[in-house]
Amino acid sequence: MSTENPYAQYHVVKKGDTLSKIAEEYYGDKMLYPKIFEANQDVLQDPNKIKPGQKLRIP
Amino acid sequence: MRIANLFVALAATTVMLVGCASQKEPAEKAVAQVESAVAEFRADAEKYAADELQKVDASIGKLKASLANKDYSMVVKAVPSLNSTIATLKQSVASKKADAESMLAAAQAEWSDITAKVPQMVEAIQSRVDTLGKSRKLPANLDKATWETVKTDFETMKTEWTDASTQFASGEADAAVRKAREVKAKGEEILSKLGMSPS
Repeated sequence: MSTENPYAQYHVVKKGDTLSKIAEEYYGDKMLYPKIFEANQDVLQDPNKIKPGQKLRIP
Repeated sequence: MRIANLFVALAATTVMLVGCASQKEPAEKAVAQVESAVAEFRADAEKYAADELQKVDASIGKLKASLANKDYSMVVKAVPSLNSTIATLKQSVASKKADAESMLAAAQAEWSDITAKVPQMVEAIQSRVDTLGKSRKLPANLDKATWETVKTDFETMKTEWTDASTQFASGEADAAVRKAREVKAKGEEILSKLGMSPS
């Protein structure tokens, strides 16, 4: 069982968010969205399907 | 008259010799007791009150010299004062040892807390630094100069954390904790510059 890292950063999905937009906000580069997808495989099945209210870890 | 004087002198010398000889055993016992009393806490005294111990050892040395010179009365006379000094030293050593142990326990508790946090901090920063290193452009909240500072500071932070861990492992708990506090503060500063401070 892994313990949650208290220094990890999270993003709560808002209406209109996409993983690319989130990647641009945190990394400055839309193309790095797979990093966020890979880090959230427990809650995301498809990088194109994210829902408002979802809490995503930003590695 | 001459014979009488000689007799008196002889008698006085005999009394003195008998008196001296009667103090020999108490003097020897007293010196042995003093040495034994110091031996009981010598190891701690060397660690916590080396200067005071040195003074006591010098006094014991003088007593032993007097003993060797058969100045037993001097020894017997000096012992009570030295015993008192030794008792004070013993008390001082015990108090300093208790303080040191209490400080060590506090340092170990703080180390335990920091050691649970810093590796997680390093992991979170490392992940972000690696990702930003692959980015074609920096995020809006991070300018180039800050990014360069972050990278340098992060390398320093990791080196200092290794140093602190080495210090703790070699028994320098207090110094390790001081360094670890600095490392944690540096980590918090880096998190803030990266816009990752916990909200």
